[in-house]
Amino acid sequence: MPNLPPKKEIFLTGLWKDNPVLRQILGICSTLAVTNLMVNTLVMDAGLIFTVCMSSLTVSLLRKVTPVRIRMMVQTLIIASYVIIVDIMIMAYLPDISEALGPYVALIITNCIIMGRCEAFARNNPPVASFIDGLGMSLGYSLVLIAIAFIREPLGFGTLLGIRVLPEGFVQWTVMIMAPGAFFTLGIMVWILKYFRPQPQTGEEKG
Amino acid sequence: MKKQVLSVVYMFLITLFFASLVSAVKLMNDDRIERNQSIKLQRIILQVLQIPTGEQMAQEDLSRLFNDRIKEIDVDDRTFYIGYEEDGKTIQGYALPVGGPGFWGPIQGMVGVDPQATQVLGIAFYKHSETPGLGGRITETWFSDQFKNLPLHPIEGDRNIFYLRPAGTGKAANELDAITGATNTSSAVEFFLNKELDHFLKELWASIEETH
Repeated sequence: MPNLPPKKEIFLTGLWKDNPVLRQILGICSTLAVTNLMVNTLVMDAGLIFTVCMSSLTVSLLRKVTPVRIRMMVQTLIIASYVIIVDIMIMAYLPDISEALGPYVALIITNCIIMGRCEAFARNNPPVASFIDGLGMSLGYSLVLIAIAFIREPLGFGTLLGIRVLPEGFVQWTVMIMAPGAFFTLGIMVWILKYFRPQPQTGEEKG
Repeated sequence: MKKQVLSVVYMFLITLFFASLVSAVKLMNDDRIERNQSIKLQRIILQVLQIPTGEQMAQEDLSRLFNDRIKEIDVDDRTFYIGYEEDGKTIQGYALPVGGPGFWGPIQGMVGVDPQATQVLGIAFYKHSETPGLGGRITETWFSDQFKNLPLHPIEGDRNIFYLRPAGTGKAANELDAITGATNTSSAVEFFLNKELDHFLKELWASIEETH
């Protein structure tokens, strides 16, 4: 495989440079949905990290035998299988959190980051690099989610990880609990990032 | 042509492999999931009847307590639970399963009422698909604790057993706080719980009358 960047570079690209949420604006649905409570966010992150890494690895391992015409079907099947496994594991070992997350675990399947990485990277690259790419991307996603939850939970509930961090008399910002609160938080984050580190022009990047 | 056949065979094999993998994981964890669910139900029944379980009670102790204090009876197609005091004879209350449509999917809960069925001992919701952090907060204690000591009476006309009002605006004892930001879940709960309570209480009162 010619011109494959070093592993560290692949990892950092996903984690920060090409961050899936802040740069690619992918996986927004779950970003908006689960970030009003830190606990839910952490479990979602763990589920996503597992699914992205394993899906990328599997797709990469099968990349030479999978017929190109049916690759999307195969990818969906692989992703769905891993997500169902995550769902079963959470039900078996973390029943309380399984309850709180409800349908969102199953909805990891529809997270664009997973299929995006399978299509854009894993199906053309060797397994180890694909795994690292998946790890970087999913950790990048997790970091952003944690940052948003870190703003939303205290302002919306006055707590962090269920522990009260703001005084009793604090008036909770209901908007922070709801989806608009996530939109504002995420929007401001993307704005700040773009201000300090504008995206390189496509032409420059190639050159 | 050969390519198409190959694709079909490939898809078949890979589906077979992943379906088997998922089934195996499910089978391996089935017992655990089932046990989690039955333990949860037992804990909830004890809770709504105000039989103290303690936060960290071991599963075996919880099941033993449940078997000592709770008797199941089947009425029509539902299971009711009778809770006994420590002597094992005096009735402490009844636990009734309640449920109905929520905003996203069905909600299931359990209500404990005193032996005369005049007030609520406790209530808990244990199965739902409401939005986490919004409608999903029906499982939180601040919400369910409001129902404690709620006076029960048969519904006459359009007078409900209880109402959910915007948080902090309820005045009467039967006006409880709704969940802010989850209006649809709140009104769904208000609707089905009033109906279910009314239905069960009539049955329960009838059977209490009979025994006297």
